[in-house]
Amino acid sequence: MSEALPKHEELVQIRYDVPRNGWRSAHVDFRKGTYSYSAAPKNVQYLGMANPRHWRPTDKDWKLPPDWKQIILRGMKERLEKFRSFRLFMDICVRCGACADKCHFYLGSADPKNMPVLRAELVRSVYRRYFTASGRLFRGLAGGRELTEDVLKEWFYYFYQCTECRRCSVFCPFGIDTAEVTMIVRELLNLVGVNTNWVLEPAANCFRTGNHLGVQPHGFKDSIDFAVDELEELTGIRVEAPINKKGAEILFVVPSADYFATPHYYTLLGYLALFHEIGLDYTFSAYASEGGNFGLFNSHELMKRLNNKIYAEAKRLGVKWILGGECGHMWRVLHQYMDTMNGPADFLEEPVSPVTGTRFENARSTKMVHICELTADLIHNGKLKLDPSHNDHWRVTFHDSCNPARGMGLLEEPRYILRNVVNHFFEMPENTIREQTFCCGSGAGLGTDENIEMRLRGGLPRANAVKYVRDKHGVNLLTCICAIDKATLPTLLEYWTPGVEVGGVHELVANALVMKGEKDRTTDLRGEPFPAKEAAVHA
Amino acid sequence: MPGISPQTQQAISERWRAAIIQTYPGLTAEFLRQEKDPFRNPVGAALREGIPCLVAELFGAMDPGKVSQALEGIVRIRAIQDFSPKQAVGFVFELRDILRDVLRAPEAPLGELHKRIDEMALVAFDVFMRCREQVYEVRLSEARRAEGFRKRMVSRDAGG
Repeated sequence: MSEALPKHEELVQIRYDVPRNGWRSAHVDFRKGTYSYSAAPKNVQYLGMANPRHWRPTDKDWKLPPDWKQIILRGMKERLEKFRSFRLFMDICVRCGACADKCHFYLGSADPKNMPVLRAELVRSVYRRYFTASGRLFRGLAGGRELTEDVLKEWFYYFYQCTECRRCSVFCPFGIDTAEVTMIVRELLNLVGVNTNWVLEPAANCFRTGNHLGVQPHGFKDSIDFAVDELEELTGIRVEAPINKKGAEILFVVPSADYFATPHYYTLLGYLALFHEIGLDYTFSAYASEGGNFGLFNSHELMKRLNNKIYAEAKRLGVKWILGGECGHMWRVLHQYMDTMNGPADFLEEPVSPVTGTRFENARSTKMVHICELTADLIHNGKLKLDPSHNDHWRVTFHDSCNPARGMGLLEEPRYILRNVVNHFFEMPENTIREQTFCCGSGAGLGTDENIEMRLRGGLPRANAVKYVRDKHGVNLLTCICAIDKATLPTLLEYWTPGVEVGGVHELVANALVMKGEKDRTTDLRGEPFPAKEAAVHA
Repeated sequence: MPGISPQTQQAISERWRAAIIQTYPGLTAEFLRQEKDPFRNPVGAALREGIPCLVAELFGAMDPGKVSQALEGIVRIRAIQDFSPKQAVGFVFELRDILRDVLRAPEAPLGELHKRIDEMALVAFDVFMRCREQVYEVRLSEARRAEGFRKRMVSRDAGG
């Protein structure tokens, strides 16, 4: 039979030419599961933003203002004049394609408009049409595109498929920060009232109560007290967790999910245990009870307004410096924008660790230190008694959360901590960690449940790397230092890589921490038996 | 099924993989075909891994576990991409034309192979449905997790 068969070379006659699907067609099919719901009018009103109304992305008529086109073009003009970066990013891309296959949404969705270069082209083509001489004269021939309602809808669809993770910009030879292109386009969309509830509701809550979840001060205190009670049950030690304590040395700011969501909550227990052990003079604030900043996903004005409360509260309470918890995008705002937006914080002091005397020179300007920097320094100076065997039931890998990793360069500290508090630590493949880390696919305001399919697409490259270490090393815990990661990665892993849980770095720190005066601890912070104790019981 | 050489099986795999890749938009198809790093190209890697297994089973024992596992790797991805159910599992039927083209000899047992293709398509549909149900389950789990802490606090306040 094989005689009659064509030769191998003949069989693999595959057409390699690329079909010509025009990217200029702006029509978008809003399929359930791939977009977030529009913002409720009450939240738009609360924030004093434009065009509050009921509408849905699937509606034909988005009830835009009659002069929406002029508003957008005026907004573009203002931003081109105000932000040199925006004009540069519109002008200097040479379509080299280095970014094309770097976006997790492109890799997971296979949709070419998720190539960062093409996503940016959706707005660049409009820039070219209206703001360059060649575009004004030759329009489509010069790569320009008319601004139509379909184009606006396309912007909404694709610029809410970018998590502003900045992986593409690592590879751009010109350093184009595509996240900033996304930020500007979202600002423009906001001018005509095109926005998502998942972003605006937390922002409105933050104004009203100080945090995204809308937890009021007494609710905040109640949940911190709850954590203190639980920690006492676990360790036999009653810790203090001061709130709004004037004259404390340090103001501690965490993402609100830490005190109201799982598995974040175990990280909160970790902070409390650690601070008690080193005798830190710190305070929470009920007003600055949110590190996260959903303004970042919306507009620079909103980001500034939300961020302002951290310095304001540091001033009111009279602290010397600020410590920040395990949060993702909070650190992008703090590290890259806070100093110029709301600084200089000349009423604060250069942070110095009260335990080791280490001067955090890197935070000289912002006066704000990441908790991983503090803890790594404590371990480095031998100030913590640690028993990593308490974490022997975990085989651990570390997911570099985009903002701490790419946004502020925090790469070594979490790893240094993990290597000291666990015995089984395994890295994911090199091109999926550190600066090249893959986003969870749910950041920048995309982490809502109605957007689940898009999130599963965006999360595929990360989950694919987790699957590799699960299958190769038996990894069963993915650690990270971002509240959005902790909220959304369990969902992604349940679909893509079952059998791997998600936890925080400081959860594992406190598991390993041997506290002075603790009772004979038998369980970790999740209430799971310590492996050695469990083995002893079975023996 | 004797007589189908490894080279022919490989050729069928490559034709099939190419056909599946053509279900993706043009620019993407090129990338899925070329990029070999499994971490830079998870969708392409899933096809590279799954397709040869399926072809081996088609001409081999049709082990239900292996067929299901190989289809799982591919269909789990297609179940959440921009495909209708028909498009998500329809790639299995591409095999019919490929086999007709490749196995031109009159003695080729196409009848039996077509039965096996039907069987594979049905398994692909099972996998697809399982994945779709899971999409809703994970969404629900997320909502439950979000509520979990609040419930614990309420239960404490109620003395529970």
